[in-house]
Amino acid sequence: MNSLVVKDLCKTYIVNKRQNHVLRNVNMEVKEGEMVAVMGPSGSGKSTLLYTVSGMDHVTAGKVDFFGRDISKMKPGEMSDLRLDEMGFIFQQMYMLKNLSIYDNIILPAYQSKNGRGKEKRQEINERAKGLMHKLGISEIAENDINEVSGGQLQRACICRSLINRPKMIFADEPTGALNQQNSKEVMKELNRINREGTTVMLVTHDMKVAAKSDRVLYIEDGNIKGEYGFGKYTAQEEARERERKLSNWLMEMGW
Amino acid sequence: MFFRILKKDLKRKKTMNFILLVFIILAAMFLASSVNNLIAINGAVDHFMEISKVPDFFVVSLSDGKNDAVDEYLKEDKYLSEYQILDAFDISNNQISIEESAQNPDNRKYERSGILYLGTIPDNFLKVFCSDGSELHLKSGEIALNQSEAESNQLEVGDKVKIKIGEVEQEFTVVSILKDMVFGNEMIGTKRHVICKEDFEKYQEQENLIYNRIYCMNYKDGNENAFMKQWRKQGFGLIISIEREAVKTCYVVDMLVAGVFIVVSICLILIAFLVLRFTIVFTLQEDYKEIGIMKAIGMRDMGIKGIYLVKYLMISLAGAGVGFCCSFPFGNMLLKQAIVNIVVEKADQNVAVNLLCSVIIIFIILLFCYGSTNKLKKFSAMDAIRNGSNGERYQIKNCLKLWKRNRMKPYFYMAANDILSGFKRFFILAATFCIGTMLILLPLSAVSTLKSNSLISMFSYSPSDVYMDNGKLNSYIQQENMDMLLRDMEEIEDKLAENGLKGKTGADVIYMVPCYAENPEEIYTYNTFQAVGSWDRHYTLLEGREPELENELIITDITAKEMGVSIGDSIYFRTKDGEQEYIITGTYQSMINMGKGFRVSRSAVMDYGYASLLFCIQVEIEEMESKEACEKLKEIFPEDRIWMANEFVDSMIGGIAEQLDTMMVFIVGIVLMINSLITVLMMKTIMTKERGDIALLKSIGFRNNAVRKWQSIRIVIVLAISIMAGTVLSKVLAPVTIAPIFAMMGGNKIELVINPLEAYVIYPLLLLAVTGVSAFFCAGAVKKVDLKEVNNIE
Repeated sequence: MNSLVVKDLCKTYIVNKRQNHVLRNVNMEVKEGEMVAVMGPSGSGKSTLLYTVSGMDHVTAGKVDFFGRDISKMKPGEMSDLRLDEMGFIFQQMYMLKNLSIYDNIILPAYQSKNGRGKEKRQEINERAKGLMHKLGISEIAENDINEVSGGQLQRACICRSLINRPKMIFADEPTGALNQQNSKEVMKELNRINREGTTVMLVTHDMKVAAKSDRVLYIEDGNIKGEYGFGKYTAQEEARERERKLSNWLMEMGW
Repeated sequence: MFFRILKKDLKRKKTMNFILLVFIILAAMFLASSVNNLIAINGAVDHFMEISKVPDFFVVSLSDGKNDAVDEYLKEDKYLSEYQILDAFDISNNQISIEESAQNPDNRKYERSGILYLGTIPDNFLKVFCSDGSELHLKSGEIALNQSEAESNQLEVGDKVKIKIGEVEQEFTVVSILKDMVFGNEMIGTKRHVICKEDFEKYQEQENLIYNRIYCMNYKDGNENAFMKQWRKQGFGLIISIEREAVKTCYVVDMLVAGVFIVVSICLILIAFLVLRFTIVFTLQEDYKEIGIMKAIGMRDMGIKGIYLVKYLMISLAGAGVGFCCSFPFGNMLLKQAIVNIVVEKADQNVAVNLLCSVIIIFIILLFCYGSTNKLKKFSAMDAIRNGSNGERYQIKNCLKLWKRNRMKPYFYMAANDILSGFKRFFILAATFCIGTMLILLPLSAVSTLKSNSLISMFSYSPSDVYMDNGKLNSYIQQENMDMLLRDMEEIEDKLAENGLKGKTGADVIYMVPCYAENPEEIYTYNTFQAVGSWDRHYTLLEGREPELENELIITDITAKEMGVSIGDSIYFRTKDGEQEYIITGTYQSMINMGKGFRVSRSAVMDYGYASLLFCIQVEIEEMESKEACEKLKEIFPEDRIWMANEFVDSMIGGIAEQLDTMMVFIVGIVLMINSLITVLMMKTIMTKERGDIALLKSIGFRNNAVRKWQSIRIVIVLAISIMAGTVLSKVLAPVTIAPIFAMMGGNKIELVINPLEAYVIYPLLLLAVTGVSAFFCAGAVKKVDLKEVNNIE
């Protein structure tokens, strides 16, 4: 089954009374359990594509099916519920509410969800959050404020938050863009693991090393997908270099 | 470029600049009008006393106009520079009637409150003026009415009244409403209507009339004490005896209303400046990035400062200009409320004051702006580009733990946590709400106290179910007929019994008897109360016990202090029959006659010739609530005036409670407006800073409504905390702000009354509802926050 089916997607911004066509008839699919990376030059429409297919931005024309439901026709409230319960988001900057501890930031979406009401359900959420933090190796920073931890720890906390409601799909916009090499590696390791556990991932990146760990790479230019490159599942560190080399060659063909 | 940046800024921050403009307008308007009023009111009472020619000392005594002992004495007195007698008639309800007209189609009856005199236009002392302050001239058939009497009887210029004295009845057309320094003041308890000399003489042509003669006296310089010493020895039977300074004190209630308005104005000015400072600082913080870029491209600090100084100069010029213009009608409206009975010296003197206040506002704004922009110097271009951050990190305290809240909604938790972890951010909001709550609760406690049934005991009365005026109260005094009073009271009881009611009646006769304590040369004349009638009642004392024996009395604490006596000491009453000694058995407080007076026992033998006043007959009905008893008595005695305790007090202090009610409506309106404005301003500014957070919440699946609730609940929590703080502070401040006003009137140990329903439920709920709704509407702007703005998070 497809997680995401995009048909003839267009997105136009009007700036100073002039139309700016950012996405032009984009067609794409993301299969369930797949990890897809979107690459392209600056201003090509990568982030717009991610925000539009995840319902964070309105569609100008076309259709976006998320697990069989057309999100372009959903009301804002329904869209909010979908983002809360079925989607997870990771941003380039580690956005968290500064008045809340790391732990409270992580459990916040779960407490807000309809499935997070009542003492028992909240206990269950707390156990799940602790489990996730343990898996991602950030248990010790639970009660810290967001400015007391490193960027890598904070991004992993953001991943925990995105996973807390057991989403069907995760959207990540340059998840390693603000991290150093070591932290990037750790974050990607977690994303790969999550993906292996069954969660579909769609990410936007500039980084070949990150893209090479995806199952498939889409190349976007001038608001349209120019090509795609499939690797299959990334399983071991050893194959990383080879995948990067192949991707590099392909990207050069695409005009990167 | 300079003006392009400015134009863009004014456009971009439309709402914030608009609210700032509104506050500058309010600040200028309130500052200008309240300073003006302060100056006007301060001088108005003195000026009015001057033009009214209030004598150094004046008394009122009953006389037939022939054998006048007071007149004889004054003719011979060597300490006075001048004196004059003003004759007046005491008019009861059945002597004055309103003519049936279009305004009075139901032929309503005239109802006086307190004592009502009919006199002529005075030419020397105690002068009266038209409502516009001009001199009064009357022709035959014309009458000028006391203001509160006209209002309470719904009489206007053009209406007709008939007045019958003895056998002569004349019809008058109302041509003016009076401004009368002494008899226009509610605290004096005596009112005066005025007619021309010819019409007055028509009444005087009759024989055997009783006059209320007003003796106005001016001392020769430095002879005040000598005169008073001799005067007090005479022991004349007087109804009223007032010194010039006491008249000024009577204006304390008028000053109270004015004072409350001034306090409101000052609080509003404070709020306006707080908001102003906040807005300037916030705007600068918001513009750090632009400032950084300007610095980076080489603009000088003074150049950058100039942008803000010009911006705020423009806003403050516009705001102060509008405020200056609005201050005239607004100031006049306030002044009109504050000095209803006073002739103000000049109305056009305030342009310079208003202009000066407006200039001060502009100056302070620019000073604030200059001070706030000083911060710019401290930041490097890069610091500013990084939104004012210089790399230093501050720990934010996460006070509440979400995971510990098993039932709390996340938006409620976030609201509470924001307040607990950064209350400073909401300080201005909280301070404004707190001041607003106090602005409502402090005057409310004055209004509640004035309206409470318990206040009657402060007027030297024992609380009863009903207070009535049968239209004959002054005849009992004028005709020196105590038997008639007792007989009429028995008749009332009989009539009650006929109607199946078990009731007892009582009255408090007020005597004016000269007296002294230790030194027979130091004579005082105070109100002396004596209870008569079948109703055996008790009075609230401060110390000691009630007088029981015929030679016992209780004394007000103010009188005791003035005479230098205490419980156990003696007071000597001096009458024409000799001296009687009274032993003080207790002290009490009273708001009659500025807190001065005595109360003798029921068995004391008093000379009825010294009786000067009788305000009402009290009726106590067995097993019946006051309200029900009043309704019943109104049915049984349809011709008489029937009051409950609070209505009776209100009639004595002349509708002050009503005046304060109007003031309360005004204050509540202003507070609600300020609360709403400041809520909108603060929410706009906070939401501007939190756009990233809002976008984040929306991106992770919070619905607009939940984000909206987070934003507005925060305001409601701050408001609730502020209301509680304001309530506590009001309770603490009431004894030092409101109680002294009552103390000036004699109630120096008064217990302020709080109506819990009004103070703790109705007004707080009103504040919560209106401000909460404003907050909720303002929070509707979260809808406009684009999810992509998550990238603006700081």
